[in-house]
Amino acid sequence: MRIRKYDSDFSRRAFLEKSLKGVAAAGVLAPLWPEIARSGTIDKVYPDELLSIELYTKGQVKPGDVITADNVEVVKDLLDPIAYRQVKEMGRRINIVETTTDVTKLYPHEYMEATLRNAGRAKFDANGNVVTDDGKPWIGGNPFPNAQTGEEAFANLTMSWGRHDESVYAVRDWDISPNGTLSYQYDFIWAEQNTVGLVNKPSPYQAGDEDKLRYQAVWFTSPTDAKGTAFLNTWHYDQRKFPELLGYLPAFKRVRNFPTNQRFEPLVPGITIFLSDAWAAGDPMLTWGNYKVIGTKPHLGAVSGNWTGKRNPNWEREVHGGPKDQTFFEDYKELVPEVLVVEAEPIGYPRAPVSKKRVYIDVRNMMFVSYLTYDRRGEIWKSFEPAFSQYQDGDAAYMDGAHPLWSWTHVHSHDVQTNRMSRFVQAKQITGGFGPEYNIGPSIYDKYLTAQAIRRFGT
Amino acid sequence: MERLSARIARATMAHRWLSLLVLIAITGFFAVQLRNVELRTIFSDLLPSNHPFVQTYKDHPNFGNPLTVTIMVKRKDGDIYNAETLQKVWDLTRDVDLTPAVDHDQILSVATEKARYSEATPNGIDSRPVMGDHPPRTAAEIAEFRSRLLKAPNVRTFMVSEDETATLITATFIERLLDYGVTFEHLDKLVKDARDDKHDVYIAGQPILTGWVYFYEWQMLGIFAVTGLALLGALIFYMRNVVGVVAPLTTSLVAAVWGFGFVGWLNQPIEPLIMVVPLLLVARSFSHCVQFIERFYEVLHHVKNRRRAAEISLSVMMVPGVLGITTDAIGLLLIGVAPIPAMERFALFCGFWAMMLVPTNVLLTPLLIMLLPEPKNVGRLVGANKGEAKHGGIKLLLRLIAHLSFGPRAWITAAALVALTVFSIGKLSDLKIGNPVEGSNLLWEDSEFNVAVSNINSHFPGLNTLEIIFESKSPDDMERVVRKAETALTMQRLQHLLESQPNPPEASLSFADYLPEANRLFSGGNPKWAPLDHDDAAVSAAAGALMVGTGPKAFLHVTDFEQRNGTVSLWYKDNKQDTVDGALRQARAALEIIGTEYDDFRIRLGSGTIALQQSINDTVDSYQWIILGLLNAVILVTCSIAYRSVVAGILLLIPVNLSNLFLAAVMTEMGIGLDVNTLPIAAIGVGVGIDYGIYLLSRIYEEYQMRKDMALAILTAVTTTGKAIFFTATIVLIGILPWYFLSALKFLADMGLLLVMVMLINMVIALIVVPLLVWLIRPRFIESTELLVSEGVDLEALASENSDENLRAKAAEMVKHPTNEVVEVVPLRP
Repeated sequence: MRIRKYDSDFSRRAFLEKSLKGVAAAGVLAPLWPEIARSGTIDKVYPDELLSIELYTKGQVKPGDVITADNVEVVKDLLDPIAYRQVKEMGRRINIVETTTDVTKLYPHEYMEATLRNAGRAKFDANGNVVTDDGKPWIGGNPFPNAQTGEEAFANLTMSWGRHDESVYAVRDWDISPNGTLSYQYDFIWAEQNTVGLVNKPSPYQAGDEDKLRYQAVWFTSPTDAKGTAFLNTWHYDQRKFPELLGYLPAFKRVRNFPTNQRFEPLVPGITIFLSDAWAAGDPMLTWGNYKVIGTKPHLGAVSGNWTGKRNPNWEREVHGGPKDQTFFEDYKELVPEVLVVEAEPIGYPRAPVSKKRVYIDVRNMMFVSYLTYDRRGEIWKSFEPAFSQYQDGDAAYMDGAHPLWSWTHVHSHDVQTNRMSRFVQAKQITGGFGPEYNIGPSIYDKYLTAQAIRRFGT
Repeated sequence: MERLSARIARATMAHRWLSLLVLIAITGFFAVQLRNVELRTIFSDLLPSNHPFVQTYKDHPNFGNPLTVTIMVKRKDGDIYNAETLQKVWDLTRDVDLTPAVDHDQILSVATEKARYSEATPNGIDSRPVMGDHPPRTAAEIAEFRSRLLKAPNVRTFMVSEDETATLITATFIERLLDYGVTFEHLDKLVKDARDDKHDVYIAGQPILTGWVYFYEWQMLGIFAVTGLALLGALIFYMRNVVGVVAPLTTSLVAAVWGFGFVGWLNQPIEPLIMVVPLLLVARSFSHCVQFIERFYEVLHHVKNRRRAAEISLSVMMVPGVLGITTDAIGLLLIGVAPIPAMERFALFCGFWAMMLVPTNVLLTPLLIMLLPEPKNVGRLVGANKGEAKHGGIKLLLRLIAHLSFGPRAWITAAALVALTVFSIGKLSDLKIGNPVEGSNLLWEDSEFNVAVSNINSHFPGLNTLEIIFESKSPDDMERVVRKAETALTMQRLQHLLESQPNPPEASLSFADYLPEANRLFSGGNPKWAPLDHDDAAVSAAAGALMVGTGPKAFLHVTDFEQRNGTVSLWYKDNKQDTVDGALRQARAALEIIGTEYDDFRIRLGSGTIALQQSINDTVDSYQWIILGLLNAVILVTCSIAYRSVVAGILLLIPVNLSNLFLAAVMTEMGIGLDVNTLPIAAIGVGVGIDYGIYLLSRIYEEYQMRKDMALAILTAVTTTGKAIFFTATIVLIGILPWYFLSALKFLADMGLLLVMVMLINMVIALIVVPLLVWLIRPRFIESTELLVSEGVDLEALASENSDENLRAKAAEMVKHPTNEVVEVVPLRP
């Protein structure tokens, strides 16, 4: 039995005080990052009530419990407004698991090592881009593990989306209509290759691509009428520049250039996700502005226990809720002791339909656990809620090399105004026989990330 | 044996406190539900639910843009290609995005990213917004914008007028979030602020129409207040005593509580557009109450005993009162036969309210009379006092009218009526169905909304559409039938057939229209690549090309979100009946050729304003006569029973049907057609008209029973009961006429005008035709002493009971001089 060292309001007072002072530095009892660097755990950083949902809720909710409309009020302050509404009004269920105190389970192994190795070496140059202390492009890991500002927090999200040098995700997506029926279903591949900040290579840079940040492609493999449709993004390292965007339709065998700042449109019919939504940082970070940390707080986040590879052979998930009992995935959330709540505005988009985004970032690994966009009237428009996990389910595991994979498992993207839900999983295999690939080296480029590759794929 | 009505009357008066208590308890029962009463317009409820067009509309509500608002910016002194106008369009587009409940993905103007041009380049297809990241400011930027528009043919056709002086901004709203009042207020302000000396800005669309209706509901409350005060003023002016004012007010208020409480219990919204009818019911309640009080005054004038006078009046008036109210109520209830949900609710609400006038008026009025102070001006009110010019004048007029119905003049009157009837029948064939105005018939032709519709129609294909729906037969939600070759090609074939007619639609549009352009661009830009191959792969590829980087929301006007169902939209220049008939005839002929049943889909006619207008007209046309037929049948049965004579039933039906015929002639003369606004009018008119007839016929019967002199009976009835009819008709007119002059809602004004006309015609016809028919036919039931509807009152005996020598003398004098100035006093039984 744990002995509680602090009264139940201690953390609330501590967060209030931090917010009032404008202090974003993580940790309540002690600074977070030095402790992580020392021990790899957060046991001594937060009081017991922030490490145990049972203590936090005074015994009303404990790991193994399920949050439903009947008990969601108990954890209302730990959810964003949309997640709360989904549970309260739409029949969503949330399974509660223990808080992860071993921070190594919240990162890909190499990325965490790079974060520790390079801690303190990042800064912003005169243009606002992240550079090393000697003015070179970033060298890997979170540049600002102990982020103090909104810009620093967003640099952590933007500089490496999936936190592997190369990632190929096999994605299965379902788009649910307001009446709960399935409107669209897609299988697609999402491929990312970082060109700087590499953590699994001898050099942090891919030779000749130091002026870029990443290549990224989306390939649709199903249904038949979308098969072969592909998009290719080339990101500049300079975050003031818009990525180049090419599209390809196999029936016409022609590449199409898209407007580079057209990032608030769905890629294919029926899906609620915009390019701008990817990883809560889908646009170059300097095309957004007015970043600010509006507070810190504990939150419920799906950051562990979400890979169900042992129970679901294709890594798909059970569904529930909504009018036809299929609007939500089954997922697992834990009490995240501290999130930074950061807002930003789309200053580089004169026609943006959104006025701001609000992102909840887990300070332990600087990854977002929830992301909301607001329309120009200030009303919530969409919620983009990811789930992450180390890929271990009992004695089953999926490795990204020598270590169990850490990655995202599934996402709920909910346009709450039109009440359309896109939900997708990272699957073991999708139509066409494609599956996940990690840290596969430069071959990813020729295979997935060139105009020729997307043409070849469509034939 | 004592009659039932007399026994009820005696029991009511004997247990008047218990009776009052019961009435108060019932009022309390209904009053608790007043908080649930909701005034709400549901437009789809104004459509006939069983009509195939309406069923098609309800199965595919997104076609025909019911939730889309269209704003037109019109440059007054030139074209739109100038910095000022384009800045205005940019600003308006951005401001529209701030409107509550707007779907941010469905805002379209030349300033949005969705308005794109594409061109083939050596590296592929380059697709960009026609307007850059800011509105064009320099001459070069404006020229570039203009040239880009030429490369975007769909944008150019549908977003910029042919004369290049106007451009559109369209926005679609999310129904679940839409509060019409709030959205309207925001958009109306935007549009008003955007107008200046160089620009007109118009706004139209169903959400705006609803907004205007909501806006005018406040005005409606104002008219209610005016009308209520006018009614009260008329009552005070006429009665000038406490009973005469308080009793009608109280009984009407109680009836209103019962009526509104009833819908509160049913938890159904009340359609504000029909609120003129509840006001009519208030006026009718006044009318019945005044009928009773008039009779009470007459009796009181003789018997000088309030309780006896109230009891006698109740006994005498109960059967004609109940019969009259019942016919009113049946008239209203039968409106519910028309399968229009708003009318069904209206019939239930108003029919119940009308029926409840029986307990609230017939029973409550005598109870109130007993509670309230005895009036001091009875003599003046019954016209007994000389020098009462107002009442005397009415009497004189009624005497003149009465003289038209008996004696030698009767034949002249009859001949004139026959001539008028023949003339009206001739006119009947010219009576039109429908009242088309450009825009909405709910509003005046010069209303801001209809002017906007007219202007948008004159610059763009317009807002009057006929939608021919292509509906998937597949049970699979994800089988995208619209992306199949047969669907797209059939759509094109249908459009080709319709556009090659002698009077083709102004424009047509389907999902298939977008495909060739996508095909051309993605195939390299050469126009020769525009035509689609006739196979599913080619059509699906073109559809896929169209959707890339946008989404199905951008095409919701032509296909649904899942692309299972689609529509061919046909635009017409107006919604006049000839145009509507022609459009439907052509569409039916085209569908006859291409067929409606295919393997994957069926074709359904239709939706859109043209089809929905026709659905209302079809329903009005058939149900107008069904309702009238049923009403005639019910009245014939009830009146035949009440008077124990089929002749009596027929005799009462003749004037009300004549009134309807004359009303139709007047409508033809005034250019008013039959539509949903007029649907309730004839039924209400018959209900009211028969009410007048029953009161009058009963009085003629009573008088004849006492005098055995038909001429005298007619004269007496017309100048006594006729006076009450005259007053009550007048009071109803006072209640309703302001609606015509004050209402900005044409719907209410039309109903007001028609109700006024139907009341006036019914009053005049009742006063002339009922006595005339009795005089000419001399029906046998008049001789009978066993009718339900009335009984003689031996006022002489009652006067004796009262031991008032003066009264006895006066009554005797009246019998001796039946034609003198005070003949209107109820004569004594010989």
